[in-house]
Amino acid sequence: MLRSFSPLPRPRTFLTRHRLSTTSIRHELTPQHAIYVSNSINPYFNLSLEDWLFRHKDHHEPLLFLYRNSPCVVIGRNQNPWKEVNMTALKARRIPFIRRRSGGGTVYHDLGNTNYSIHLPRSSFDRHATAELVRRAINTLGIDVRVNDRNDICVGYEKVSGSAYKIVSQRAYHHGTMLISTRLDTLGALLKADKETMVTKGVDSVRSPVCNLRQFGSSINHETFINAVIEEFRKEYRVEEPIQWVNDGEGVEDIEYVRNGMVELPGWDWAFGQTPEFTYTILPKFEWGEVTIEIRSKHGIILEAKIGSGDSGTQEKMKTLGRRLEDQKYGFVDADVVRDVIEQDNRCRDVWEALLSAMVSYRYEP
Amino acid sequence: MLNLPRRPLQLLRGWPGRGSLFHSSPIAWASLKVLQKFKLADIGEGITECEVIKWNVKPEGVVQAFDQLCEVQSDKASVEITSPFDGIVKELLVQEGEVAKVGQGLCLIEVDEESLDSNSKEFTEPAQPEQEAVQSKVFETPSQPSLGHLEKALQLRKRRPHPLDPNHPPNAATILNSFSKNVLAKPAVRHMARELGVDLNRLSPGSGRDGRIEKGDLERYLSGGTKDSSVSSMKQPQESGDVVVELGRTRYGMWKAMEKSLEIPHFGYSTTLDITDLHSLLPRLNACIPPHYLSAPPPSPYTAVNPSSVYPVPSPPSVLPSRQFTKLTYLPMFLKTLSKAMTEWPLFRSSITLRPSTDSQSKPALTVRPHSDISIALSTPTGLYTPTIQCADTHTIFSLAAELKHLSHLGRQMPCGLTPAEMPKKGGTITVSNVGAIGAGDFASPILVPGGGVAIVALGRAKWVWDVDRGDGKGERRLKIGVSWTADHRVVEGAELAAFVECWRSWVETPERLIGEAV
Repeated sequence: MLRSFSPLPRPRTFLTRHRLSTTSIRHELTPQHAIYVSNSINPYFNLSLEDWLFRHKDHHEPLLFLYRNSPCVVIGRNQNPWKEVNMTALKARRIPFIRRRSGGGTVYHDLGNTNYSIHLPRSSFDRHATAELVRRAINTLGIDVRVNDRNDICVGYEKVSGSAYKIVSQRAYHHGTMLISTRLDTLGALLKADKETMVTKGVDSVRSPVCNLRQFGSSINHETFINAVIEEFRKEYRVEEPIQWVNDGEGVEDIEYVRNGMVELPGWDWAFGQTPEFTYTILPKFEWGEVTIEIRSKHGIILEAKIGSGDSGTQEKMKTLGRRLEDQKYGFVDADVVRDVIEQDNRCRDVWEALLSAMVSYRYEP
Repeated sequence: MLNLPRRPLQLLRGWPGRGSLFHSSPIAWASLKVLQKFKLADIGEGITECEVIKWNVKPEGVVQAFDQLCEVQSDKASVEITSPFDGIVKELLVQEGEVAKVGQGLCLIEVDEESLDSNSKEFTEPAQPEQEAVQSKVFETPSQPSLGHLEKALQLRKRRPHPLDPNHPPNAATILNSFSKNVLAKPAVRHMARELGVDLNRLSPGSGRDGRIEKGDLERYLSGGTKDSSVSSMKQPQESGDVVVELGRTRYGMWKAMEKSLEIPHFGYSTTLDITDLHSLLPRLNACIPPHYLSAPPPSPYTAVNPSSVYPVPSPPSVLPSRQFTKLTYLPMFLKTLSKAMTEWPLFRSSITLRPSTDSQSKPALTVRPHSDISIALSTPTGLYTPTIQCADTHTIFSLAAELKHLSHLGRQMPCGLTPAEMPKKGGTITVSNVGAIGAGDFASPILVPGGGVAIVALGRAKWVWDVDRGDGKGERRLKIGVSWTADHRVVEGAELAAFVECWRSWVETPERLIGEAV
């Protein structure tokens, strides 16, 4: 479980219309229900549960899953975390970043943000239709929102929701965020782009200005939002089943698929090792001169580090330093591999320090 | 013990369901291969191009239908693409990180012609559709209904109705059981079978890889059930009374395999083995078959004392009834001695590994296995199979007899009970066929097929002959059996095969050696 926040009371919700039909958690959670709401705020749990529901539910049946996470940054499947996320800010706040399984860009989650996930058979999947469903739900709460041409939900020109999709042979899902009362200042700090010299092959986020729904109506909060979405979902897909509430700590993480997901997501192989190829040019300046560093990395491993200095005297040592970095994990270089080089030469040590601060990474241990 | 002259013949023939003419397995039969270009399909939603994020396969990797091939990304959608075919990935046309347009080829997959869906746009129907004719089954070895004891082998065997016999209707229970987990079929095929009310158990194993049931098998089953048994629906009977019979599924598979076998340069080597000593050993071994292999174990010889009185005697493993037998035959003894010879000759424990032509080291190689894997040719009512006994050198003669019993039991099931567990893809390195069980043949010239190992041996029927070389010139009556070897001359030399057979002979004709080696 995450410990970087002060524990909040578990949200208790009373749905007056559905009180009689609310079911308690059984020991065995099956993926064959239609509406799931997670009471857990553990992002690893929620994402793994979402994937489990996606892979195990009957292909032909629609499914809705609603959840929210404690503060974290979520990047898309094929994104570059060092480019998308401000690692220094992440480190300072001890907030994790998580790579999700669907595509798209980077978002910030906290308890003021609610996530929705609609799973449908692939043949009948339509992004626009699912976005419209959520839009109608918000309209019933008195806020006028629209869907833009990228199927994002906006108020005016500011986004309140970002979406992403995953499609497999028989099934597809559309999941998205909904900014209800998120700390936008934290969002801004964590998602600040400052690495123009990093050129990456993956997907770049499309940055947009954002705002909270709460600014436009005081009746909207997590509970009212999920009620509205559930209602709209029931109408659209004619679902009468009761809501399935899911708590963590009650055996769901014993489901092997979920457990494996919760182990895989924070691991280096998934979080960093799935980074597509990128090159990063760093141009640090020192009192003794300028250096050009070009790093080429793929799947989180440094393939090549070319360190060029105008001064031919240090060139050889720089080359050695560069070679030592090969096959090391980007951002997690073992200091021992360069120790002898930097101890012998002050300039190499300066370059190494510049590299460390440029490659700053934060690896969260749940 | 009486030495009945007919006995060895009975014992050899008494192997139920054994023996056939030529030795090839449907699993090892290679069909014609076609290179299919798999294109990036329209993902929908107006997406025109995607970036390939990750390939889950590599060139020369084997892929099955519905295995994940790759993951692609288009703006906000991450899409997993699965393979439509079973086959081998030959080339990746778009690398990770590159962009593929919809309609562009993603990769090339080499598929078996048979396994392509008949609706596939890229593929043209085979010129001769396969139709099962009941008549073609008439000549196959009849099945034995009971879980044969060898004594019953001489009794007249009752012929089971063939599943495609129009007079043999499926009953409701079998249709309800049509989705047993032991039947391999793609989900699309199962769905079709369910809709058409076809019991997949009847079709197992199918003509696809690993015995998978294909759509074509379903179609043939349905058309075969309604067809007149004597005349093919394709052509009118000719005036002279000639009847055109289409090749059945298994026989056509044999055709294709034999055409492929023309690639292999065969050479043969025949000799006779003197099995008189084995013959006299047989009754003695039969008297001490371990009790767990007997269905009716004899009473314990101990009455006054009990070996377990101090400490429990380790109990032998429990053995399935299908593995229990009452009498040994020569075949397990031949297999054991063969495995001993194979231990001394690594060449005959190896299989050919073909390297891809793109590899810089494009010479083929031999993969030597640590154990002796021997395949047995098994002729059953459903067709000819070659199940493999793996690590035969680790088996005792009794456990080999149990294995053979079990395999023939499975083979005689209708539908066939052999599964990929008994017929692994890698197969054996030597195949053994007990042709002598069928008739009084002495020698044969068996044929190797790709995947069938480096050599194959056909065992004839044992005969008592007068051997003039023995008995100090007066001669002696000896029991001899003809063995005919064929080997792959690409890897085996004539002299090597001859020497190997002589090595085998030294084990067969001097069975006492097994005692010295503690079997």
